[in-house]
Parts: sequence; C-alpha cells; structure tokens
Amino acid sequence: MPLVGRGVGAEARRWTEEAAIARTVEPHPQTDPVAQRHEVGIQMRLEARGLTRRFGDRVAVEDVSFHVAPGETYGLLGPNGAGKTTTIRLVCGLLTSDAGEVVVDGMPVTATATRAKAHIGYVPQEVSLYPDLTARENLRFFGRLYRLGGARLRGRVEEVLELVSLVDRADERVESFSGGMKRRLNIGASLLHNPALLVLDEPTVGVDPQSRHAIMESIAALGSAGLAVLYTTHYMEEAERLCDRVGIIDHGHLVAEGTRRELVARVGEKDRILLTATGSLQGFAESCMGMQGVDRVDVAGSSVHLLARDGRSLLPQVLAAAVAAGTSVRSVEVDEPDLEAVFLHLTGTALRE
Amino acid sequence: MGPVIAIALKDLRQRLRDRSALVLGFLAPLLVAWLISAAFGSVAAFHMNVALVDQDGGPVASGFGTFLRSPQLSELLTVSTATEAQARAKVEDGSLSAAFVIPKGFSAAVTSGGSMPLTVLGSVDASVAAQVARSLAGSYTAHIEAVRLSVATALDGGAPQARAAALAAAAADLQAPESVVPRAAGTRELSSVSYYAPAMGIFFMLFAIGFGARGFFLERTGGTMERLAAAPISPAAVMVGKSLATFVYGVASLGTVAAVTSLVFGAEWGPLPAVVALVLALGLTLVGLTSLVIAVARSERQAEGFASILTFGLVLLGGNFIFISAAPPMVRTLSLLTPNGWALRAFTDLAGGADWTAAVTPLLVILAFAAVTTTLAFALRRGVARP
Repeated sequence: MPLVGRGVGAEARRWTEEAAIARTVEPHPQTDPVAQRHEVGIQMRLEARGLTRRFGDRVAVEDVSFHVAPGETYGLLGPNGAGKTTTIRLVCGLLTSDAGEVVVDGMPVTATATRAKAHIGYVPQEVSLYPDLTARENLRFFGRLYRLGGARLRGRVEEVLELVSLVDRADERVESFSGGMKRRLNIGASLLHNPALLVLDEPTVGVDPQSRHAIMESIAALGSAGLAVLYTTHYMEEAERLCDRVGIIDHGHLVAEGTRRELVARVGEKDRILLTATGSLQGFAESCMGMQGVDRVDVAGSSVHLLARDGRSLLPQVLAAAVAAGTSVRSVEVDEPDLEAVFLHLTGTALRE
Repeated sequence: MGPVIAIALKDLRQRLRDRSALVLGFLAPLLVAWLISAAFGSVAAFHMNVALVDQDGGPVASGFGTFLRSPQLSELLTVSTATEAQARAKVEDGSLSAAFVIPKGFSAAVTSGGSMPLTVLGSVDASVAAQVARSLAGSYTAHIEAVRLSVATALDGGAPQARAAALAAAAADLQAPESVVPRAAGTRELSSVSYYAPAMGIFFMLFAIGFGARGFFLERTGGTMERLAAAPISPAAVMVGKSLATFVYGVASLGTVAAVTSLVFGAEWGPLPAVVALVLALGLTLVGLTSLVIAVARSERQAEGFASILTFGLVLLGGNFIFISAAPPMVRTLSLLTPNGWALRAFTDLAGGADWTAAVTPLLVILAFAAVTTTLAFALRRGVARP
C-alpha cells in the first residue's frame, strides 16, 4: 500500500508554493566543481559545501559537496561505511563538521540552528518512535517539537495519519504495529511540519519487499509533489528508480554525481541493443554502422548486437533501418549499463562488497 | 516553552504507563507507611510485659516491686510475679519482654553495706526491651546507692546509729531536685508514622533517579534522541523538558504520600508552607542527582546501576530506614551529608511541633545539594542531549 494517499494533492500544492518562495541561490565560486554545474538563479533547497568530518584519526567524509533543488530527489549511493549516514547527520545538524558548511533554504545548519532545522524533515535509519505511545500521540508529540499546536496540529496529525494509511490504527500503541506500519509512521512523523527538504537515511533497510515497494512509491510521490528529497541507499535499483540525480560516495569521498545517464556517459559505458531477426542481416548491420551514436555492430547467426551511446533514443532509427533493409525483427532488447557498473568502474569494487 | 512542556508531558505520560513507576512512586510508599503505622503505632505506645521474681521477700525487693508498679511506669510496664523458671520460659517464648530476678538475701546485703547482683532476663529477640529493663534495674540500684551514701554521710556526721533506719527511709522518699526531660525542637511526641511517612516517601521518591536516567538512555537506544536533536529545539530544551518531568513525578510522589498519610494515617508533617518548600527542594535535588547519573553513565545498564547505588546509599546514610535520633553519633553525622538526611531532620522537627524556621537551614542545604549536583552534571557532560 503506498504511503501517499488522498492528501498528496494538498501536499503537492503546498510544497510547490514553498518552492516558489524559496530563495535564489547565488552561484558558487567557480573553483567549486559542483557550483560549476549550477545555473544562476536556480533555487536550491540544500547546499552542502566541502563537508569534512573526522572521528579521531578516521576520516568519515572529506570535502563532500552537492546540492538539491526543489522537487529534486538526490540520492547518495554507496556501500555500508562509505560516509552516507555521516553526511546525512551533518546535513541535519546532528554532527558538527570539521570543515565545510550546510545551507538549507539560505540558512546555515548547525547543531543549534533551530530556524534551518525547522525546514528539514529527518527520517532516521532505524524506526525512531515511542513504542509505548499510540501513533496519534507520537505524531502529536513530534508536531509540538516543531511548534505546531491547536487546530493546526490536530489537522496535520489527521492528514499524516491518512497519508500513511494508519487512520484506523491511530489510537493503538506503536509497539503493536508491524514493521512496515512502523516504517510508514516513521516517515510520517517527519512530514508533520511540511518540511521543504526531506532527508531519508536508508529507509528501506530491513524492510520486507511489499513495504519497501510502498515506501519507494511514497517517496517518489513526495518528490513529484515538489518536495526536495535527499535519500541515501546502498541499493543501486532504489537510486536508479527514485533519484533524479545520484552522488556516488565511497570511503568518505563523493567520487561522482549526476543523472544516471551522465554517470554512465562519464565512465564511458555503452548501451547494448540485441535484435533477433531474419532476412538481410548484413545490409541491416551496415545501415546501423552508419548511424550517429553507434560504435560497433556484430552479426552472429540470427542476432545483431549494437554498441551505442543512447540505445533507447536510437531504437526507432534502428527499427526503421531494419524495415528499409528488408529485415524482419522478431525481438529487441536494450541493455543499459546500470549504476552498479558505474560504481564498479569508479571505485574498483562492487556496491555490496 | 512549547517543546519543553511537550517533552515533559510526553515523559510523564510514558512514566504513568509504566506500572513499576506507578507502584514505586505512589503505592509502595503508602503501603509501607501504612504497614509501619499499623505495626508500631506511636513511640509513646511502646509497652513491655515484665515479671518480678522475688526470691528475697525483704524490704528492698519489695521497694523494687513498688518502683516497677509506680504510676510513672504504668504506661510502659505491666508487671506480674513468677518463679524464676516460669519467668525464664516466658521470656524465651516471647510472652514476656523481660524479667527481674531478686535473689534471696538481697535486702540484707544491701542494708548491711554489701552487694548482691539483681539479674535481668532479656530475650535476644527484644533487645530494646532488655535494654529498657536493664536501665530500670540500674536506675533502682543507683537510687539504693544514693540512699546508702546519704545514710553513711549522716552517720559520719554524728547521727546516732539508732536513727539509721529512719534516715534511710527519709532518703528513699526524697526525689532528685532536677530531672532531665529530653525534648526535640518541637513540643509534640513523634509518632512512628510521622517519621516513616516522610522517610519512606523520600526513599521511594529517589527511585525517580533511575526512571529519569533510564528514560534518557532509552531515548538514545530507541533513536528518538536523534529525532529530538534534529528538531528545531536546543539541547538545553531537551534536558529541561526531561528534568521537568522528573521534578513533577518526584514532587507528585512525595506530595501524594504526604497528603494520604496525613489524612488517612494521621501522620504529622508540620506547617504546610514549610512542607511544600521542602518537597519542592527535594524535587530539585532529584533533578540534580538524575542529571549527575546521566552525565556519569554511558549506557542504560550503567545508569540503572549508578541510580540504585545512589538511592540505597542515600537512604542508608540519611536514616530513612531507622530512627536517626536513635542511631549512633557517627551515623547521625553521616546523615547530614545527604539531602534526605536534612529533609528528614526538618520533617521530624516540624512534625514535633517546631515552627517553620526549623526548616530554613535544611531547606538551604537541600537547595545547595541541588545546585551542586546540577552544576557538576553539566560540567561533566556538556551538550548531554546530543545523540
């Protein structure tokens, strides 16, 4: 069951309005590689600049910079121990950085920056609720921490209960909930104050596939509704599915960032198009070789293999060439390189190693 | 103040849902105070059944019997006569608190200037009664010594030997010109429930240290402290909210014990403003001690251990389990190292009829305890609310 229900429309409108009044961020100095990709005038929800944090002699994160725009879902992808949680904790003001800064909606985030923290909704990795309180009591308490009160608090609690599909269990103690229900409420508790930035630290760890799917759908809906989302995961498929942009983090360093396609292009990985066909395969192959973006074509039996930069967009052209060459195509398969391949290429290790 | 109140109310709600907190904070002190009240009544009601074994039959032995049955001792003693064997058996089976055995020839020995021991039989299970019996026997023999000394002095001064008996009778009738009347700062006699109601109330109130410290570490292990730290509130607000809950719980616990024991068991607590001030001051000390445990401990288990050691250490030193006035001097001195010791001193003085000024010094000392422990806690662990 998806987290987001009937309340999404209102959420979307509210968050879109908030996005409209967000401040205009000045472009970063040109020495900042992330800043170079900023466009002048883009409204940033979150900017992390040169974050560094050490624990004794161990460097947890070093010189990590990224930004998240309104309505954007940004994923921090990396294996366990890569520095994702430390980065999240720095972003939320739970840790003090040794160097660098975090700015949310134009306000610097520190441990005592209450104004900036009011713009952030933080979803911890573990379920962080009071098991001996009911769902409603938990939500009311966390709402009060964000200075909601009276009718507004009551209204938001009901909206969030509806949002997380727990209206009928609202007055039951959390300790009686299933893992999935707790996870949903865990996210709901971070949405009470209509945050501008939602920060989720591996929210699907240890979650059953059904709940995981529901959580993913909900986060996708929240992102679509205009909320800026910072999402950490070590699941490649989650990052690919949810995130507009992905930052790959390993050993405390942000080794690359961009859209999936940008990352794939950056490491030089190509798409593979596999066709099975009958007819004049050689003529068809020669036609394909002449197309822009196609690097290599191999024919083996009734199969034709193409290596190309953007397989999906090239596909109509390839199929048209097949018709023109008198080739009858029986099946087509596009194999795009994934972030796992990118991660492997960039770090020399697999994500789950 | 919104988030601070929210944290305090949330903590109180959780605590009231915890049955052990309810039992220890409210039911147990009332139950123990009631048990003590029912078991001991008041100090003035202390009573002994004793037997007099008169193997002598002489005037001195008869005088001792008269002394034991005197109106001054009638509330304390019920005296019966028995043979030595009967008395020994009854003392052993507990039906008698003590027995006095006056041996044959006792009167003759005394009047002739000799000496002969008066035996006191006491039960090992009733040491206080045996002590009282020995004191009574000692008091009577001291009186005899005084009479003998008076007669000897008169004879040495030239009085005729023929008047010795008359002189002895006259000296025996004389009362000491001065007597010592022990009295505390107040004017009333302290009943046991008036002592044990605050003693038990404070004892069980101190369990709030464990609840408060445990609650803090549960926030950490449960991950909710991280949410609190991520919220737009200062770490100090978290600590103040949690301290407020501890304060309210402690004050409610002791306040309830005071109200119920006064109304139901007839315990004397003293003037209301002074009692309220002492209860509030103890609540602040509770906050300081809880903060100190949180500052020193590194885990929930450590916090529970430290809180238990602290609670039992304080109540043992402070005199919550014994009448501190009956304790050895060293224990009485040690009790002044504890806030509960000072509080008990104030409560007993107030219950004894002293006016509110008797509570001023204890109140200041208790507040100083609160200030010192709180300052120490924050010095030991700055930013304690961060995860």
